[in-house]
Amino acid sequence: MIIQHLMNYAVEVRGLTVVRGGRAVVEGVDLVVPAGTLVGLLGPSGAGKTTLMRAMVGVQRISAGSVTVVGHPAGSPGARPLVGYVTQAPAVYGDLTVRENLAYFASILGVSGTRVGAAIREVSLEGRAEDRVGNLSGGEVSRVSLATALLASPPLLILDEPTVGLDPLLREDLWSLFARLAAEGTTVLVSSHAMDEARRCQRLVLLRAGRVVADEAPTALLRRTGASDLDRAFLQVVRQLEQPG
Amino acid sequence: MMLRSYRSELYKLRKRPATWVVFGVWLVLMLVFTYLFPYLSYRSGKSGADAIKLPNLLPAALPTQGLLGYAVWGGSLIVVLGALTLGSEYGWGTLKTMLSNGPGRLTVFCAQVAAMFTSLAGLVVVAFVCSALASVVIAASTGASIAGPAAFALALSMAVAWLILCMWCLFGVVLAIVIRGTALSVGLGLVWVLAVENIIRATASSVPVIAGIEKALPGVNAGSLVAALGTPAAGSGGDGVAAVVGGGQAAIVVALYLLLFGAVGALLLRRRDVL
Repeated sequence: MIIQHLMNYAVEVRGLTVVRGGRAVVEGVDLVVPAGTLVGLLGPSGAGKTTLMRAMVGVQRISAGSVTVVGHPAGSPGARPLVGYVTQAPAVYGDLTVRENLAYFASILGVSGTRVGAAIREVSLEGRAEDRVGNLSGGEVSRVSLATALLASPPLLILDEPTVGLDPLLREDLWSLFARLAAEGTTVLVSSHAMDEARRCQRLVLLRAGRVVADEAPTALLRRTGASDLDRAFLQVVRQLEQPG
Repeated sequence: MMLRSYRSELYKLRKRPATWVVFGVWLVLMLVFTYLFPYLSYRSGKSGADAIKLPNLLPAALPTQGLLGYAVWGGSLIVVLGALTLGSEYGWGTLKTMLSNGPGRLTVFCAQVAAMFTSLAGLVVVAFVCSALASVVIAASTGASIAGPAAFALALSMAVAWLILCMWCLFGVVLAIVIRGTALSVGLGLVWVLAVENIIRATASSVPVIAGIEKALPGVNAGSLVAALGTPAAGSGGDGVAAVVGGGQAAIVVALYLLLFGAVGALLLRRRDVL
């Protein structure tokens, strides 16, 4: 029963507080993410999106609360192989080629070499596979970083602003990829501060000043707020919270 | 998991141009400072106490002559390698990717250190082969004996060379972890090896307190360990080889520094947030 409960949630955050420099950057966050969903983590810069994601990955020291990912404590040896994480700034070696970067991470993860080519294709970098990452454009480097997270086909993908700096066509491709991965059972958690991207998610978690201010489907959010688009819906949620009483 | 990480780190070290640049420069400088310059000095016919003697440059003297550069300038380049290898993980943000992807922090650290130590063992072998070739060329050109050294002396010399390089490599690694970057850790490492230790050496003879400090320095102990292996060899100066402490003490101190740097690096990497 307990295992069943744990496995239904890809992410379970309870009372999470992260204090940095004497200030709570994430405060009392409760969040559950069902397995196999495409979830958008949205909010303005400084809202705590990256800190929350880092806590899920287990590279963030937390002050209170608990974070469980795919049934394991975040950052534990059991959890690490099950989580693919792409940081906001690309995290790949500039002096290695695209293929060498992926071969290295594939080797670390213990996945077959055939996954290297597949991951390169998934991010549409077949033509640049033998180029040094240092010679690629910013958007291409971001895609190399994303490819590293796709290598092991983890059940949970945590992607911190993966579409920043990409052209609209490529953004469309990547969102289609995220939707396909979710349809195949992967839980995809994507942070963004671009509200126009939020409509592609099955569920939205809005963060502001380290707190969750909304957690529902895009259509439900629009219906509840009566707003015509998600930008306005977010503003309305924030204004409602700021109203006295 | 450890073996997989180790293989991955070896693959990465092998593919990174910086590794080959450091090793290439290191080998060239080693040959220039320990064979070419001393040979040219010998050929100039200079006489006196500090004159280069031909036997020091012949194959039989390989265990001492081939070891000359490791304590100071050779060490400084290996500090750069250690700082570059770990520091660039912070610079490129790859440490986060690695640590969130399977292997634990200690596994990652041990695998990286083991891969660097392995590559340093390879460097020592290649360096001694190059030194041997240089000494054979010198022997052939001067009509001297090309008889090689005793196998045990050569093995001991190579082991000492590896120990010293491993210590300096971990020094660079620790600096990179403390500073979480490359540039400053490389700079501080070079300042320490090439400037701070030399200044302390230079003033130690006149200030007793500093003489005590001198005996505890990693470079001084590395130099003493090299000196303990044989008679003073023919250097080009500035190699830091001097018997300031005994060979036994020097070996223990160098090994202790190796353990200390390793422990500090592992502890910091394990306990701190990965930025």
